[in-house]
Amino acid sequence: MAGRSARRWVAAVPQQVRHLGAIFALLVAGLVGARQVLVPKTFGERGHYRAAAVDSIVAQEIGYAGHAACETCHPDIADKKGQSYHRGVACEVCHGPQAAHVLAPMDHKPPAPRERAYCPLCHGYNPSRPTGFPQIDPVLHNPVRPCISCHDPHDPTPPHPPESCAACHGEIARTKAISYHAELPCTQCHAVDRRHSVSPRQQRPSKPTTREFCGRCHAQDADSPPEIPRVDLASHGPGYVCWQCHYPHHPEAR
Amino acid sequence: MRPMQGYVYPNEFELHWGLLIVVYPYLTGLVAGAFILASLARVFNVREVQPVYRLSLLTALAFLIAAPLPLLAHLGRPERAFEIFLTPNLRSAMAMFGFVYAWYLMVVLLLEIWFDYRKDLVIWSRGSTGVLSLVRRILTLGATDLSEGALRFDAGAGKLITIVGIPSAFLLHGYVGFIFGSVKANPWWSSVLMPVVFLFSAIVSGIALMLLIFMISSLVRFKRVDMACMDKLAAFLMYALVVDFSLEMLDFTQRLYEAEESIRILSQMLSSRLVLSLIVLQVLVGTVLPLMSLALVAPTVRKQGLVKVPDELRRLIYFVVAVLIQIGIFSTRWNVVIGGQLFSKSLRGLTVYKIELLGIEGMLTAGAIVVLPLVILLVLVKLLPPWPDAEAGATAGIGLGLAVSPARR
Repeated sequence: MAGRSARRWVAAVPQQVRHLGAIFALLVAGLVGARQVLVPKTFGERGHYRAAAVDSIVAQEIGYAGHAACETCHPDIADKKGQSYHRGVACEVCHGPQAAHVLAPMDHKPPAPRERAYCPLCHGYNPSRPTGFPQIDPVLHNPVRPCISCHDPHDPTPPHPPESCAACHGEIARTKAISYHAELPCTQCHAVDRRHSVSPRQQRPSKPTTREFCGRCHAQDADSPPEIPRVDLASHGPGYVCWQCHYPHHPEAR
Repeated sequence: MRPMQGYVYPNEFELHWGLLIVVYPYLTGLVAGAFILASLARVFNVREVQPVYRLSLLTALAFLIAAPLPLLAHLGRPERAFEIFLTPNLRSAMAMFGFVYAWYLMVVLLLEIWFDYRKDLVIWSRGSTGVLSLVRRILTLGATDLSEGALRFDAGAGKLITIVGIPSAFLLHGYVGFIFGSVKANPWWSSVLMPVVFLFSAIVSGIALMLLIFMISSLVRFKRVDMACMDKLAAFLMYALVVDFSLEMLDFTQRLYEAEESIRILSQMLSSRLVLSLIVLQVLVGTVLPLMSLALVAPTVRKQGLVKVPDELRRLIYFVVAVLIQIGIFSTRWNVVIGGQLFSKSLRGLTVYKIELLGIEGMLTAGAIVVLPLVILLVLVKLLPPWPDAEAGATAGIGLGLAVSPARR
């Protein structure tokens, strides 16, 4: 009796709805089935992710030993680094994960990066780095020389200020070296305060600002060797300062 | 073009969303627009646009099938895309969009097309053999009842779905706008008007597309272009364009008046990076010029249009206007997607976008994805001819008293 009334009820539903209903039921069943098969069992237990992922990450082999393990055996280096600007940098940042070294110190020696490309990973100039963070242009800053030849990575402050201007202004020095001005010292034209080498931005060197300054060597009546080219300051490019046309570090360049 | 200028954060040099993400809202906009045009015919009984009703539905379907492709091509791991359906994330607007898309495809568009074509599918597949007929027979899903009651049910169900479909189409494209509008960190995108502007630009682009497809399909079939239909389409196009343009101007004025801290960099971007795509293509070529042309020749205010022009010329003007509008709407999508990434979040610098030619996110892929819906449409039109003279009742005359499809009754 119940079966007949159910059949009559089904027959009353239009054919289209029955067939579409079957298709949609199949699709929904497919989705539910796919969820059963494809969604990991622990998905959603703690959030929108597979909770067991945490366990599988925990189960991974530990590569890092932590700086405390290093300090036990290397107290001298730890002390030195602890006093330096690198005190916040863990040993394994440069030496790599060293859990294996802690377990078997003789079998696994930690690498120490010595090549020039390594330090600029942190100290290469990048506008998004905080102001005051030591940054250099790897192309211009003492080209070719490895960083460790001046800076001890465990105490990176250089032992003394740069000795020559070329240490920081390498590109200018190399340009000047092939120009007619090669023999002139930088101080010929720039008045440089001694403190410039330790706080370069606070104590900037002076630059010539008048035509007469160049005229000291290049004017018609200048008291300088005769082979130095002369110009008549009154008629030669009046109104311009010399360096607007002549680059002083390579004056013959056009 | 000038290279990067000012201060730009290192992760902003390169744009993360490129040409494919421009194509995506363009395609979904066409879907929503074409569907809303179809619903005009069905729900609001606009007699003149009846000839494009079925064509609009098929166009919407063709573009909807292709719409997710730019997103998939943009993904690093497209084979994982289906996972958003398996593990729905209610807190992610982008993840839930998968369900909006699925709802629109499965519940609205496919069902409406199925109910509208069911009678014809049954008749076309009856007594004939061949692959086409077999496919059509499968598409009937075995529901071959052609009694008057069943056909009445088809018509009723179709109408109901269209009524549900209008808010769904609004949802589909409003959602795309929502995804951009809700990025509160980006002053170019973050605007509550974004979904509404997207929606109306979608309607504009959909109507313009149908105008193009209807005209070209008539020419290809050597049929006379139905000028009453074209005039009505042009009038609707004009109304939608007026609303769209007003909304955009409203958005623009509001930004200008609010003059938040971002206004300087945005105006700098507008006057340097977006001159061609925004001022020339979107506003002048894509909006003002079509608006003026339509105001002059389309029968909007008066029966004849302000200037009386012969049918042939009017048709040509409509054609050019529709093409210009497509260019304009594509530029709109470009200006939103690319424009929003050209300036730095520091509000102090501008970067540049360089389109690739080859590569998965390049111009060729994007071009192929834009052309693909037209190919799909061609297949759909072969399978389900949308022309009034192809309807089974019109030729077979099987005595059902239904010489026109339920939508046209």
